[in-house]
Amino acid sequence: MTGELFWRPFPILALTVRQFLGGKAIRVVVALSLIPCAFAGIYLLNRDVATAEEFLFDAIFLNLMAPTLLPILVLILATAALGNEVEDRTLPYLTLKPISRLRIVLEKLAGILVVVIPAVSAGLALTYLLVVGSDLGQSTRLLWSMLAASALGAIASASIFLAVSLIIPRALLTGIIYTFVWESLLGRFLPGVRVVSVRHYTQSIFVQLFDEPSVTIANVTSLRASILTVLGIVIVSVAVATWRLRRMNLE
Amino acid sequence: MSETAIVESPRLLPGLIAGRKAAIALDHVSKWYGEVVAVSDVSFGVSPGVTALLGPNGAGKSTLLKLMAGLLSASSGTISILGQPARGDTNAYRRLGLVPEQEYIYPYLTGREFVRLNALLQRLSDPDAATARAIHLVEMETAADRKLGGYSKGMRQRIKVAAALVHDPDVLLMDEPLNGTDPVQRAGLITLIRALGDAGKTVLVSSHVLVEVERFAENILVIVNGKLAAAGDYRAIREKIDTHPHAVSIRASDPRRLAAALLVEPTTRSIRFERDERIVAETSDVRTFYRIIPALARQANIRLHEIQPADESLTSVFAYLVER
Repeated sequence: MTGELFWRPFPILALTVRQFLGGKAIRVVVALSLIPCAFAGIYLLNRDVATAEEFLFDAIFLNLMAPTLLPILVLILATAALGNEVEDRTLPYLTLKPISRLRIVLEKLAGILVVVIPAVSAGLALTYLLVVGSDLGQSTRLLWSMLAASALGAIASASIFLAVSLIIPRALLTGIIYTFVWESLLGRFLPGVRVVSVRHYTQSIFVQLFDEPSVTIANVTSLRASILTVLGIVIVSVAVATWRLRRMNLE
Repeated sequence: MSETAIVESPRLLPGLIAGRKAAIALDHVSKWYGEVVAVSDVSFGVSPGVTALLGPNGAGKSTLLKLMAGLLSASSGTISILGQPARGDTNAYRRLGLVPEQEYIYPYLTGREFVRLNALLQRLSDPDAATARAIHLVEMETAADRKLGGYSKGMRQRIKVAAALVHDPDVLLMDEPLNGTDPVQRAGLITLIRALGDAGKTVLVSSHVLVEVERFAENILVIVNGKLAAAGDYRAIREKIDTHPHAVSIRASDPRRLAAALLVEPTTRSIRFERDERIVAETSDVRTFYRIIPALARQANIRLHEIQPADESLTSVFAYLVER
């Protein structure tokens, strides 16, 4: 992954992936990605509580992955991608080069996604196989919907946290508080918060892609509007990160 | 180096020799953090060749280098590198290299990968050849394929220099590059710094070690407490430093007779007696003073046990320069 194919056209992306693979963060990310598998194991001990499909979309995706696990996974890598460069004072090696700040931000964002999307997808796919393993003939629409929605949710979260890591010194802590208070807790009870959270659009994308009348969430947003919102979040966050990188003083 | 890019300074900035052009020009530059002033109204110019930025720790040398590299924005004043503003235009980094002070570099990369990363980010047409050339310049071929995490401090310094040189910049800023190097590594880096200056590059090297600087720089800029204390030819400034009153501590078998002999000498300004057969002499010409002590002792048949500078810390020398 970090071979010549990546290094020459995307050196910062390759550096970021190496940074993740060489640090502790990757172990935490892999462990957290496998949490849904542990839930699947518990479910397999008592299948009477829900059907396999209900368990996957409700317990795993709508209540675990979208509101909590996905933002935390992304947070760990996104705050490390540029935040660690600032903390370790290695950022000048990237910024004192004839390359645009936008490119630095985009390659860092891509580096996060290259690691986090496969990790999340593998965790979800493994969970799916564990739960419906005996019934592989079933439609895989549920799986693809979960994978696509989590990938788009990861893109939105990663761009937000990347920008935040350049503005707030303790971005990881701030992000954890944000995830638990805003995305997980307030988002469930306050309708206003609901529509200004990444969780809502991740869930909406999933619901729209899965396209089962019985599966929905409150105030579900259309697929088109959800994808446009994700795109808007990415554009604004990348613009903020680029602006910040241009303006910031590097001690 | 293209001559057009080096600006003719509108006035003769400190540090510049009349007729020489400034590759780096600072005009009334200040940098403060809230109430703390890190750099105060500094103006100087740096011409091609090797210039040392000399000052005690905490004097503002690193801040100045970061301002020149565009890592920090100045609170007031202007900085230009090869005629361009130091901050804002990323294309300027094709001709500028910085060896930062901090030791930490990506520990998971090998030395070669790190230098090559810099070559790739400089968009060089042949990054592998440039990497090999830069590693050769700092004599790091044998350790180039080891992880940076296992490098000694001196090796990290050299690989940082290679990374800063990989694109053959016209202007090179080096923040204490000799720190942590052993004598052999230091000699190698000094030879390299001198060769870069001789090749017409503008090399600005910060250091807090006075005696080290004379081995590579003809021009020096002395920074104390964020201000420019002295600028110009090394020998002229060294002379100023040498002629300022120095205190020398001497322990001898008969300090009273030695003191009487020393007081006759015109270079001796005062003598005070300390405990343990020790005297502290203040002299206005420390080099001559050191030369005459053994002769005087021999003539008076006095045994010398110890001679050492009593105040020759750089801070006091620099403080003296500021007072002038």
